[in-house]
Amino acid sequence: MSNPAIAIEHLHKSYGGLKAVEDLSFSVHPADCFGFLGPNGAGKSTLMRILYGTAEREAHPETRIRVFGFDPLQDELSIKFLSGVVPQENNLDEELNVTQNLVVYSKFYGMKRGEAEKRIDELLAFFELSDKRKSKIQELSGGMKRRLTIARALLHTPRLLILDEPTTGLDPQVRHLIWRKLRELKKEGLTVLITTHYMDEAYQLCDRILIMDKGRKLTEGSPQSLLEQNIERYVLEIMDPGAARAMASAEAPEGIRMEKTQEDRLVFYGNEAHLLRRLAKDLQHGEYHLRESNLEDLFLKFTGRELNELQ
Amino acid sequence: MNSNKPPSLPHRLYSVWFRHVLVYTRNLVSNGLPPFMDPLIFLAGVGLGLGKYIVSMDDLPYVQFLASGLLVTSAMYTSAFECTYGTFIRLEFDKVYDGMLAAPITPSNLVIGEILWAGTKGLFFSFAVLIVVTLFGVLPLSTSVLAPAVGFLTGVMFGALSLLITSFVKTINHFSFYFTGVLSPMFFFSGVVFPVSSLPAVLRPVAWFMPLSHPVALARALCTGRFHAGLLLNLMYIVALSLWAGYFAVRRLKKRLVQ
Repeated sequence: MSNPAIAIEHLHKSYGGLKAVEDLSFSVHPADCFGFLGPNGAGKSTLMRILYGTAEREAHPETRIRVFGFDPLQDELSIKFLSGVVPQENNLDEELNVTQNLVVYSKFYGMKRGEAEKRIDELLAFFELSDKRKSKIQELSGGMKRRLTIARALLHTPRLLILDEPTTGLDPQVRHLIWRKLRELKKEGLTVLITTHYMDEAYQLCDRILIMDKGRKLTEGSPQSLLEQNIERYVLEIMDPGAARAMASAEAPEGIRMEKTQEDRLVFYGNEAHLLRRLAKDLQHGEYHLRESNLEDLFLKFTGRELNELQ
Repeated sequence: MNSNKPPSLPHRLYSVWFRHVLVYTRNLVSNGLPPFMDPLIFLAGVGLGLGKYIVSMDDLPYVQFLASGLLVTSAMYTSAFECTYGTFIRLEFDKVYDGMLAAPITPSNLVIGEILWAGTKGLFFSFAVLIVVTLFGVLPLSTSVLAPAVGFLTGVMFGALSLLITSFVKTINHFSFYFTGVLSPMFFFSGVVFPVSSLPAVLRPVAWFMPLSHPVALARALCTGRFHAGLLLNLMYIVALSLWAGYFAVRRLKKRLVQ
């Protein structure tokens, strides 16, 4: 196997007394899409920031970070030069128009003028923003701002793209457009790090995912293998409060796991769909929902259903 | 990718500076006109009114005395505004720096680029004053053509000082203390409107320590051709304060830029 694009060993970071990242290790292969899932405050953004040097890690004897062979402590600039960053909040320069935003960044990356102009045209076309080139940032919709922020991160043809919740708050059309573009880029060999709260996004894009909470890694693997290893194949949700109350008092049949999620709501997990269907046979349409398990079920299993003080 | 190495230090500083130039020149009329309007208003005020009461100051026609000081104060105010309100907004509200720091730019590059931009604005503002006062015949054309260089130094010094202030400020309203408590007194007691030598003896050393006194002395010398060895001390003061304030501004702002 080739050298990993990113290798992190025993990373720690605290803010005051709060542990933001605790003893985290993982590695990312070139051209993989690696996803971080975790509740708000789990340490995902901090982790990303440490990689490209806008957050400083805690001094710790065991810590080792390599991004394309560079350590952010010594080679911050080299890492930044090889990476494109899409932060959680769009930080476009509102004092400049669409094209100027990109022109300024082309200077930051030391691109030559002609080369930059060509690349800007390409990217605006790629993200379907060509007719907005002279627009002010305030005139753009949320989806356009997001696409422009991603375009900006790709300007210098980075080897690594860091995406912090790229599609949060966007409509399905824009999300699908962004996913399609990201898949195209991945095919070209781009390594992608992504944090997201959308489990379907992680499922669609990621080769590997890492679930973290309170700064710690809970599990890591490919989405399919994590599902297979950690959760039953099918889920039956009981939405009707009366039915849920009645069923909660009875014992779950053999091979079925029961979980009380909220007041008046019940979820059954099982590997055999027909067992679950039998359980719901007396219920009316609309009172239950039988489906395949997904990453959201897995995520909730690992991180719990209760809110913590950071969310 | 055009090369395998991140851009060189001069290029990185240039690119930060370029961002500010691009923003500034985007609104040429609203940004470019006031630097010329200010001295015009001043000339009208002095020429039509004040000048009738005060004819000369320190053996100079009063309007000349004041004009040579104004070359510097315009640079002071523009760089102070840029590196307080301007910087604070980029830092806290617009998150412009957050984006820039994800590109190959270090926090120090960013802060130093900011100081160089403050110097450039100082240069431009004193240049605008120079043009107006020269066109209206207030100042004869002489070594005064070099005065914008003092404007640059003024911009750098007050840029660095203002960034240091900004590094302490948590709420944007606090800048009013700096403007009314530090810059306004300096305007009156640094030899801009009357010579420092006419201050009471106990206050003269205080005036000497005020940063603005030094570029005012340099600009006045360039505008009047009265050079003396003491000017070297003024120049050294400006350089020393710029380096000191710049060093601590970089150090302190770094902590705010990197988590």
